[in-house]
Amino acid sequence: MAYVIGVDVGGTFTDAVLDDDSGTVVAAKSPSTPPDYSRSVLDALERLAEQLGTPLATMLAQTHHIAHGTTSSLNALVTGNVPDVGFLTTRGHRDSIFIMNVEGRYLGRCPHELQHVLGQAKDHALLPKRHALEVIERIDRDGSVVVALDEDQARAAIRTLRDDGVRAIAISLLWSFRNPVHERRLRELVAEQDPELYVALSSEVSPRIREFARNATTIMSTQIGPGLRDYLGTLETSLRERGLAGPLLVMQSNGGAVAAAEAPAAAISTVGSVLTGGVVGSVQLGRQLGHRDIISTDVGGTTFLAGLIVDGEPVRDTTTVINHHPINVPTLRVDAIGSGGGAIAWLDGGGNLRVGPRSAGAVPGPACYGTGGTEPTNTDANLVLGILPERGLLGGRKALSVDLARQAIDTQIAKPLGLSVEQAAAAIHAVQNAQTGDLLRKTVVEAGHDPRRFVLYAFGGAGPAHCARYAAEVGVSEVVVPLGPVASAFSAFGLASSDVVLAAELSDPTFVPFDPARAERNFAELEERVRDGLARQGLAFDTVELFREIDMRYTMQLAEVTTPVAAGPLDTAAIEAAAAGFEERYAALYGADAGFREAGIQAITFRVRGVGALPFSPALPEVPAAGSADPAEARDGTRPVCLDAAAGYVDTAVYDYRRLRSGHVLAGPAIVEVPTTTVVIPAGHTGTVDRLGNLTIRSAS
Amino acid sequence: MSMPIPGSEIFSSRPVDPAELQASLPSTLVTHTVTQEQVDGLDPLTHEVVRHRLWSVTDEMGEALKRMSGSPIVTDANDFDFAVSDEIGQEVQVGLYNPMLVGAVDLAIYWTLRHRAVNPGIAEGDMFLTNDPWVGGGLHQNDTMVYQPVFHEGKLFAWTSAICHEPDLGGVGLGSFSPAAQDVFSESLPTPPVTVVRDFRLQRDVADLWVRRSRVPMLVGLDLRAKVGANNVGRERILALIAQYGADTVKAVMKRMMGDAESRLRGKLAGLPDGSWTATGYQDQSHEGDRGLHRITVTTTKTGDHLTFDFTGTDPQAGVVNCTYAGMRGGVMLALLPILAGDIPWSAGGLMRCFDLVTEEGTLNNATYPAAVGRGPIGPAWLTGSLVAECLSQMLDHDLELGKNVQATCCGTWDTAVIAGLDQRGEQPVPFLNIIMEPMAGGYGARPHADGIDTGGLFCIPMGRIPDVEMTEFLYPVLTLWRREEPDSGGPGRHRGGVGASVAITPHGTSLPMGLVLASAGKAVSQNAGLSGGHPGNTGLDVVARRSRVAELLAAGTMPTELAELSDELEPGQNYASSYLAPGEVLSMTWQGGGGYGDPLTRDPAAVARDLREEKITADAARSVYGVVLADGAVDDAATAAERERRRAHRRERSGAPAAAGPVDVTAGRRLDDNLVEVPRDGGHTVACRHCSESLGAAGALTLARYEGPPTDAGPQITATAADYVDAPVVFRQYCCPGCWTAVWSGVVPADHTDPVGARAAG
Repeated sequence: MAYVIGVDVGGTFTDAVLDDDSGTVVAAKSPSTPPDYSRSVLDALERLAEQLGTPLATMLAQTHHIAHGTTSSLNALVTGNVPDVGFLTTRGHRDSIFIMNVEGRYLGRCPHELQHVLGQAKDHALLPKRHALEVIERIDRDGSVVVALDEDQARAAIRTLRDDGVRAIAISLLWSFRNPVHERRLRELVAEQDPELYVALSSEVSPRIREFARNATTIMSTQIGPGLRDYLGTLETSLRERGLAGPLLVMQSNGGAVAAAEAPAAAISTVGSVLTGGVVGSVQLGRQLGHRDIISTDVGGTTFLAGLIVDGEPVRDTTTVINHHPINVPTLRVDAIGSGGGAIAWLDGGGNLRVGPRSAGAVPGPACYGTGGTEPTNTDANLVLGILPERGLLGGRKALSVDLARQAIDTQIAKPLGLSVEQAAAAIHAVQNAQTGDLLRKTVVEAGHDPRRFVLYAFGGAGPAHCARYAAEVGVSEVVVPLGPVASAFSAFGLASSDVVLAAELSDPTFVPFDPARAERNFAELEERVRDGLARQGLAFDTVELFREIDMRYTMQLAEVTTPVAAGPLDTAAIEAAAAGFEERYAALYGADAGFREAGIQAITFRVRGVGALPFSPALPEVPAAGSADPAEARDGTRPVCLDAAAGYVDTAVYDYRRLRSGHVLAGPAIVEVPTTTVVIPAGHTGTVDRLGNLTIRSAS
Repeated sequence: MSMPIPGSEIFSSRPVDPAELQASLPSTLVTHTVTQEQVDGLDPLTHEVVRHRLWSVTDEMGEALKRMSGSPIVTDANDFDFAVSDEIGQEVQVGLYNPMLVGAVDLAIYWTLRHRAVNPGIAEGDMFLTNDPWVGGGLHQNDTMVYQPVFHEGKLFAWTSAICHEPDLGGVGLGSFSPAAQDVFSESLPTPPVTVVRDFRLQRDVADLWVRRSRVPMLVGLDLRAKVGANNVGRERILALIAQYGADTVKAVMKRMMGDAESRLRGKLAGLPDGSWTATGYQDQSHEGDRGLHRITVTTTKTGDHLTFDFTGTDPQAGVVNCTYAGMRGGVMLALLPILAGDIPWSAGGLMRCFDLVTEEGTLNNATYPAAVGRGPIGPAWLTGSLVAECLSQMLDHDLELGKNVQATCCGTWDTAVIAGLDQRGEQPVPFLNIIMEPMAGGYGARPHADGIDTGGLFCIPMGRIPDVEMTEFLYPVLTLWRREEPDSGGPGRHRGGVGASVAITPHGTSLPMGLVLASAGKAVSQNAGLSGGHPGNTGLDVVARRSRVAELLAAGTMPTELAELSDELEPGQNYASSYLAPGEVLSMTWQGGGGYGDPLTRDPAAVARDLREEKITADAARSVYGVVLADGAVDDAATAAERERRRAHRRERSGAPAAAGPVDVTAGRRLDDNLVEVPRDGGHTVACRHCSESLGAAGALTLARYEGPPTDAGPQITATAADYVDAPVVFRQYCCPGCWTAVWSGVVPADHTDPVGARAAG
């Protein structure tokens, strides 16, 4: 018997899922414990062991590996809780990180913030200027040294940083990805003075053209590297003491894991790890259900995360935005498009009803939580409408106050608009669904796809109450709500099912057609780095697959499109095929004839992605079959629920998800109660329980 | 300047009375509209859902345009926009990219309804194209709008439109800009609305006629397809919205959105005291070889819930620094949208009902055909916006809450340099042309509660960006010696203006001189005015270092960081110039930061220390402008107090001091701005100093101490020498309270400038 365990540390809860690869899947949940998140990891593992009826040490001894998604790095960056770091860059160009290409003022802001220019600021510099020092050196676009590194001046700069108490230094010089000689020499000069200093080179962290993003990526990686090293060190030690024999892996933004010991050197690659678990889980579930095109929606208390899976592969991106900075990190594309269950309903200056984007979050929380929130939220509306049970969440362990919810909606929305509380609540619910639809559409359309050919998966605490409606808004006709054993911990299930993925990249901007030998050299070098990296993981892989790709663009157009390239050795025909592939992808993304091919095509960044498949493929176990389609055995009575202002409150069947069986068909309107979420099946829809216990909602027509 | 051309008047579009326009349409063109009862009868749920969907439609149009365009002016500078309008052309929802274009879109639709409804007709499946800035749609000929009537069941339901700046549409100069143009015939030919798509088919003949004029026809053809595509997206989604909610409901929401925006703006205006505010600014030089100053002046009057912008007194059109009526209106929108409507949805059709424009024909910002208008958006329209912003800021400064939107003037132009030559780095030499984009990183103006945003960008193109140095060096044969924020470039004030920046490039990878065309303003006279005594930001400065030592310096292992290191022959670049940059030479551009807010001697000394630490100011400025004495970076409080006292005494000594009238009780005073309050007295009002309660006399005749001296008295940010650019004398002028010697107005202006304080002081 061997286990694989996924642990997902979120802002509020830490979820864990265990799979024994032979049909047993168990899940556990435990409150997160900031600032030391490792405690909640151990708590969640304890609960898993309880469920298995096994001592923790026994469980850990039989665990093949633990895959861990952590929010701690991202959290540190977003809250600015990072240690002082130094920055060395090319003379004349220190201010790149302060000018931020201007876009640092508005990147990552939502539409109403974009319109309100006078509400914006650019006061989020990565570090004070006294910690950003210039060194005398210059390399040009061909990699030629124009001015050699002035080592004495560089030594003095390093000394200045050390004297100011800096213990980690980010080094990013112009064109260093072309010729890293000066960056490497600077690392040696740092080591001469103090070999204990943490040093990150941009030519290793992010060897990609465009210095602003490369500088920012290197600095952020330096800010979180030492902290991640300490955190993972502590956690791994604790797990070893408790008997863990197998490796501890950390999830990365790219949707694959990496050995904990290897993570701090490329710390920035782990920042999106908590966002991607759900997408990886959706891929895995999609394989079981035969779905290849999936919109994955993960709705929590404060965020609405949307990811896309096209033809069985998650949609990827090469850049993300953190704290209004563009960050170079290969990532699964996950858009935060809304504010989740805590979205606040309000009236704007014209007396119009608005919902979000502000969220009540966990603190003060929705009014009905009784923890000080007075503004009405989406959750309050759902409670008033009867969608959420009056006895509260988590099977009654989390009490909710209908009175407080009604009061908040009444004073802030209903009275000013001359509506009843129920009408106002129904309006909030409907506005939330429609706007989610608009934002979801934006995500799918901007990725170049038509939402109507997708299946939508909905999980997280606040998604299933709305998913049938927002899916309909974008024209999706089939919605899957994963229930069964991982209903409450779907992201952790995704972590448990992840493989090890490493990427290496290098900008070598050039015009198409280019010398195939040059491309082959680039790829060969990258492949060697990826293979070495995989070998360092200390893991046995079933298979290792390498994927080559190039980010290409039309010379006059901004958008770079990642294009797959054949395995080597490359010849002219292979380069031409890659360029043709780029043109096809560009047309698919941006429309036929959208590319300006007459201006030429450029190859910008070469990348190799290596996937080491682990000898596990966690799958959801089958649930027992129902005797008939009639779900009466799962029925928990009825309650009045209002899903449509026109129809008003309708006596609606309520089902307990634990008693649902494969083959049950639930006619809408119906509610399915899960301790951690509530599923709504609107009138005119049916919900069918599949062999894995998932609920599939379709329009009855 | 050519004489007016008879027959050209018909192309001058003006705002309309929608009812009158509606009534003038032929019976063959049936429009869809709704009654006020239908608008009032909307339920809040439907309104909000449809409103958000219309936002989403517009957003998707913009995405489609941006993705398909091949022009870096679109993809990087974000000089484009798009809109959804009602059946008569009033803008319901606009994009956030270039708010100036919002003032031009509806003018073109009104004109089209008047002049195209009968022949060739306006029908389903049509799209029109125009780049005639007198008709509207854009601010100069490079702005090309493609727009479409959307029909539902045979009735004209709405219009969609997409505009972007085309890189070149012909004319004598590269990019259709000639710094020496005498009239529009040296520029790109204005094209009045033509039917470029008919029955859903792109008309090959019209499209060819269109692209044939350009030096980059393929790129222009691509942008044409992009705009057609964006309009198609708009139409499909509007029709889908109608299918879901019904035409009447969608139209009612559109009308309600405009009515809502209008009533919210009117409500905001009604809550402010009535008054009148004036601002005057300049274009220094009108074209290559000119040494004149050209004035735009605006008096903004607020009565009840309505604004009037009166430009009477603006100078006659001159050289290339002209814009049409559409440009003036665009300039007004550039200021009005962010300052008065940052928190109101941009249903521009409603917002534009809240003001009137008063203007004389044949002036800088209401130029008569065939004036050259190529510099229209970046010159006079932008200045119009800066001046309107100055007036609105003075108006809002009365109110602490609305004062959150007060802002001293931002960087006042896009310092433009175009280089063109031969890139010899590859196997085959290739020609190149590049607009240096870095000067988009201008500084924002300071505000009553905050410093201006450092290198925040251009206020008129909120989502512009500048390229990385590596991308520039990859694409063009140059080496960037530095690209940095410039200390002291932000206007000094109680809150400091945001700093601007500079860039220095030298040819690298070419053996031939490159052509260099410059177009700018704000070198002799400040364009980034301060508010409430705050000083203006820096003057712009472009310099070519001739016969420079750059090659020797690099070879010797040094990286030069100052112009003085590079050459003894530093040639100031004129605002309008055709020049060259040879190998071994260096071009340095320093562009504008924002103006300051409030007297710099009242700035928190800790903020001055922080500015010095963060290199936003120099040590010299800390002492000489802010009066702050620092020791090892820490504020010496006693020495600072003494230094500030000494500086106030200096103001007293250098000014003609009026007799002090003594203090009044200001407890019942109403705020006018950072320094002044209005107090009731003897049945009328008197103005007093907020700081020392000194009575300053009646609002129309303030008693203030006046000083005039050389521009450099404004601080180290004044780096250009006015006499290098214009003949007229330029001065630093300051007014202070004669009681406590706090500055209440400061400017770098022509000696004959009429300032608002002087006007009031003169009664």
